[in-house]
Amino acid sequence: MKVSYYPGCDLYTKARVLNDSIQRSFNAVGFELKEMENWYCCGTTFTLARDNKMSLIAPLRILAKVQKDGGSVLVPCSICYNTLKRSNFIFKNDPETLRLINEHLGESYDGQVKIIHPFEFIRANQNDFKKGVKRNLENLKLGCYYGCYLLRPENEMEFDDPESPTIMEDFVKLMGAQPVSFPLKVECCGSYLIVSSPEAAIETSYRILKNARERGAEAIVTSCPVCHYNLDNFQNRMASSHPEHRPIPVFYFSQIMAMAYDLPVEIWGLEYNKISAVNLLKGHGIL
Amino acid sequence: MRRLSRNKDFILKIEEISHQSIADCYQCGRCTAGCPFAEFMDEPPNRIIRYIQLGLRDDVLKAQSPWFCAACLVCETRCPRGVDIPRIMEAVRTVHLRAKEQIIDIDMIDKELLMDTHPLLLMSALYKYSY
Repeated sequence: MKVSYYPGCDLYTKARVLNDSIQRSFNAVGFELKEMENWYCCGTTFTLARDNKMSLIAPLRILAKVQKDGGSVLVPCSICYNTLKRSNFIFKNDPETLRLINEHLGESYDGQVKIIHPFEFIRANQNDFKKGVKRNLENLKLGCYYGCYLLRPENEMEFDDPESPTIMEDFVKLMGAQPVSFPLKVECCGSYLIVSSPEAAIETSYRILKNARERGAEAIVTSCPVCHYNLDNFQNRMASSHPEHRPIPVFYFSQIMAMAYDLPVEIWGLEYNKISAVNLLKGHGIL
Repeated sequence: MRRLSRNKDFILKIEEISHQSIADCYQCGRCTAGCPFAEFMDEPPNRIIRYIQLGLRDDVLKAQSPWFCAACLVCETRCPRGVDIPRIMEAVRTVHLRAKEQIIDIDMIDKELLMDTHPLLLMSALYKYSY
């Protein structure tokens, strides 16, 4: 079955491992991710200033293409997913703005396409995704970290409970590993504050990792390239301000799929993780 | 005691950009309690809202707090009055940015981070914090 796929710019650059592992994993269970032709950047983070309509232009162009091309699209990057979904909420509920942007672009988008995150797609096809599991991950304890972009705002994202979501735990169980829930799984990692106020982002990211570790996680799973960067890349700096910090690997969910489906180890993308997961995986006999 | 001068135009400007009714906030402080970045702010989020309610333009515009808001929307989720605080913070940032006041500049960013970080993070930061 072919599934229309919007990678977004990050999956072509820094989050290449997410792109490669999700494509191969979906393929392994019979879903071919068909990349949209001539896609554009979503515009990155959603603007909250209501009088700024410029930021709706890129999302409308993308969604108008989706409308012509089957009406639904899979979006793995949390920022793209959030931006496209929040923009689409406006297109659905604010006919005047929809008309304005359509007119500006010469499009006739109707606001009706479906923007689907891989977790939602996997849940809807869970028997297929379960059948692909070949490798035993049962001893791997994975902290399920959601961050912000998938969950909030609740009425626009309609993804899961914004305070106590469970969709990622269900995914981890489906892959045969042990999910670990922890209170800060919905807390912000600091996102782009890493550029403007790195000390604030590193401290909040540290707290998230500490909380996950205290609840028994041996590694973290996330779907967001921003969360992945903040949690994985600054653990040396966390250790210098918090000497008790012990490094904890951070995976994209699709890396877990590649392991569970017993895909070639280069698809797991382990060299991409700043904090090496090799010893952890060897310890559990996975590698 | 300081005499307060209430700048009504500023209140209207913030409401116009954010589409929020600033009087809806009854100052319970729940936004501040749950904010992951409150400790890095010079004024907690609920106090920024209070300053806006009072029309204290200068106090709002001199605060650094809006630049520490990552729009994570935890406060928006928990506000019992349905106030979308991140939209108000964005409105304050927008007032600054439209007056050509920014807090980051590509030349100021740590070079190592600049080369290493995700383009989308860089774009988001420049988009939120510079004009």
